[in-house]
Amino acid sequence: MKNGLNIFLGVLSAMLLSWACLLYGAHRQFGGLTQHKDAADESLNPAVMPGLANQGRMVYQDLGCVSCHTQQVRHNSPDLARKWGDRESYPRDYIRDVTVHLGNSRIGPDLRNVGARSPDAAYLYKLLYAPQIFAPGTNKPAYDFLFTVRPVQGGAASPKALQLPSKFAPPAGHEVVPTPRAEALVAYLMNLKDTYDYPVEKSRNEPAKKGAGH
Amino acid sequence: MSTPPDRLLAEQSAATDDSIQAVHAQLRAQKPEKPHGYSATPLVLLGIMCTAIFFGSIYLAHYSIRFDPLVVNEVANRAKPGVVTQVVTRAMRGKKVYQETCIACHQANGQGQPGIYPPLAGSEWVNDPAREGQLIRIVLHGLAGPITVAGKEYNNVMAPLGEALNDEKIANVLSYVRSEWGNTGAPEVQPETVAAVRAATAGRKNNWTAAELADVK
Amino acid sequence: MNPAPAPDRSEQMEIDASAKWPVLFFLGAALKWLLFGGLLQLASSIQLHNPAFLAGCEWFTHGRLDAAARNALVYGWGMNAAFAVGLWLMARLSLAALRHGGWLYVAHAFWNLGVLLGVAGILGGYSTSFELLEMPSAVGLLLLAAYALIGVWAVTTFSVRNTDNTFASQWWLFAAAFCFPWLYSIAQIMLFQAPVRGTLQAVVNAWYVDGLYHLWFVPVALAVAYYFLPKLLGRPIKNYYIAAIAFWWWLFSVAFTSGARLVDAPVPVWVPTVGIAAQMCVPVAAIIIGMNVFGTIRGDFGRMLASGTLRWVLVSLLCFFAGSVVALLLSVRGVAATANFTLLGEFRDTLWLYGTFGLAAFGAIYFMVPRLCGRAWPSAALVQGHFGASVVGLLLLLIALGVGGWTQGRLLNDPAVAFGDITKALLPWFTAQSVAVMVLLVGHLALAVNFFLLVKQEFLPAGAKPASFAVPPALALPAATPEARH
Repeated sequence: MKNGLNIFLGVLSAMLLSWACLLYGAHRQFGGLTQHKDAADESLNPAVMPGLANQGRMVYQDLGCVSCHTQQVRHNSPDLARKWGDRESYPRDYIRDVTVHLGNSRIGPDLRNVGARSPDAAYLYKLLYAPQIFAPGTNKPAYDFLFTVRPVQGGAASPKALQLPSKFAPPAGHEVVPTPRAEALVAYLMNLKDTYDYPVEKSRNEPAKKGAGH
Repeated sequence: MSTPPDRLLAEQSAATDDSIQAVHAQLRAQKPEKPHGYSATPLVLLGIMCTAIFFGSIYLAHYSIRFDPLVVNEVANRAKPGVVTQVVTRAMRGKKVYQETCIACHQANGQGQPGIYPPLAGSEWVNDPAREGQLIRIVLHGLAGPITVAGKEYNNVMAPLGEALNDEKIANVLSYVRSEWGNTGAPEVQPETVAAVRAATAGRKNNWTAAELADVK
Repeated sequence: MNPAPAPDRSEQMEIDASAKWPVLFFLGAALKWLLFGGLLQLASSIQLHNPAFLAGCEWFTHGRLDAAARNALVYGWGMNAAFAVGLWLMARLSLAALRHGGWLYVAHAFWNLGVLLGVAGILGGYSTSFELLEMPSAVGLLLLAAYALIGVWAVTTFSVRNTDNTFASQWWLFAAAFCFPWLYSIAQIMLFQAPVRGTLQAVVNAWYVDGLYHLWFVPVALAVAYYFLPKLLGRPIKNYYIAAIAFWWWLFSVAFTSGARLVDAPVPVWVPTVGIAAQMCVPVAAIIIGMNVFGTIRGDFGRMLASGTLRWVLVSLLCFFAGSVVALLLSVRGVAATANFTLLGEFRDTLWLYGTFGLAAFGAIYFMVPRLCGRAWPSAALVQGHFGASVVGLLLLLIALGVGGWTQGRLLNDPAVAFGDITKALLPWFTAQSVAVMVLLVGHLALAVNFFLLVKQEFLPAGAKPASFAVPPALALPAATPEARH
């Protein structure tokens, strides 16, 4: 091509087409998804994320958890057999997440429904402080900077103190207490549960019956 | 093989930049050789291009599912979807009322608290269709004094809810209670029935007792 | 257009002289980031099989370290090297000197300040968590401002070119120069300035990452290949008349492949489907490029491996073709069901970033720098060592990521396998990855030392031997072959 202008126009049109179809088109289509109002109990789903959980989302973001964990349950996949969710994840599940941490690496398990399958917050605190308690040999790092080891104050252990097995327990007379960041993070994780079954998404995503017309 | 150091440390060029420019400019204009009167290369390439576009298009048509923004499953039904109406029964609406109002005493599992609050699960007061009038009266004006439920005695006070709940909500919550926790045998309650009972007992202010209810049809 | 001046060596000297210091500055920054980023990458890799490593310090927690390493290598090493090579190549092929090179120092300072702040920001906890956009968004403005200066320079040099025609390398560089700011600024706007809602963020992120590899790094690598093959083999590109088709086909097909990174994601299914359909079309461009480059090489692999620059270009091209095949395979839904979320994603990206681009950049560096400084590389041992380490390290890394990734995928899809067992099964592959990164780092250190020694001679010329470059012959048109072929 002799003309720089030709190259420029060609490259520009490729980029514009790409943006228009993939980004702008997608934005028009599902960039404005709203909550679904349940006809029975008139609840709005997905429910707005409580403030502490939203702060926890920011802790999740700043620690870079997304580099090892995904937050997406795939349809028709072993993810469901692994009890990582009751159903696949839909785009509407994520509209309340200010930053969506879909992730693309499963060095660790998927976390989209970790709130639904974790027995309680205490489990998550212990997992963050010393993952080896529940998963010996894991390569998950211990986030001890999210906790404070301090002497027991006022004779009685703090209600927030972690109940740790002897191998991981602090020295005698000390307790392990979560910092506000840890509390926010665990609030976020406990809030991760996509349990509502959207009727429209459910019906449209049902697999076509075999032999159905094209 | 051993490389002469200069080839690694200060490699000499084999062509000038301007000749590269000039020669390639000429080559651009040059048609390919045609030993047989046609050149195979462009035709083969055209064939490959068409094949790629063909397969790509078929794939796109097959697995884009109408470009529907709500579909994530590539093997979902490609037919145009109908309107999805959520089937909502009175019982489903009643669940919310139960969770706001009744759950504190009668508990989420409908078992109440032994010796304190009677259960609703398996309760004959709930499951007997003939006792609908009694059930509505209890909710409207409350209950006080001894009562036998499922063979056990309870003696407590249930606050009246006729002011707090309208006919629709009472009908819904009673329908919920009648269909949850394995309760069967009684149909859902209609708001009209509740309205009729409310009208018939308009002047009543006191809680009901079990003895009084026994006389009600 | 300026009248074409007499084509002689002195003009190339002038071009090289105008480019010298800006290019050397960019290269110096690139090599520093290559080493620093490599160290971060090594530490992050070690943490995968030894989680206690640096775990106590919040700044080096794995999530932050991993992102910091990636950004240091892409924006620190990759972009600086691409600027150095791209500017020099554009000047050479436009037969025009880089004017007002002083502005390029400003650009270099802004860019590297931005990357430094960005990487520090990630380690300090200000990551945005979007792949390759983890640097705090304020840094993006700094980077775009720096880029504007660089891009304007590339385009200006191109527009005052002393040739009537444009060569393939210039098309590729031009496309890259325009695509990157488009990709980056749209991503910044749609993710940070006016953030979009929900999983559309993932669609924008995938569009950016896919575009960065396919529309910036690969084009620069191809520009290098298209230039150095005729330059060092002394023969024109074979089947050059279809090179333009490859260019446009690549451009228009990779513009739509980003959805293939989102197979099975909670996005409307047409997004990955469009990506996969586009991915099916990409191999056509790769085939044509293959015809160009392998037709030019004509089986002369011995000569390629003996050349200080062409050996790098050869391995880079092999990685390009391997990458094209791998990208296509990984987008097939049946394969993606196993390969998603595993090390295989990194396998594919390593083939693009390090294999295709990085190796081509090394080749260009080995040719460029002696001409800019007028001196030969000080140590042949370091040159050989670098090549050996890079090839061995890359091979080891690809094996670790490829086999490890496939193992990971199979085990993830077997619900009977507990997650702890998956981690145990991957430990040897994580270890192999660390070893590979270490080998690569050693090779890069060899290059950095050689570079430092060479540039040092600019300031301490005692004992340095100047290199002499003979005027090369003019490229000849291929002879016509009248006899028919069967």
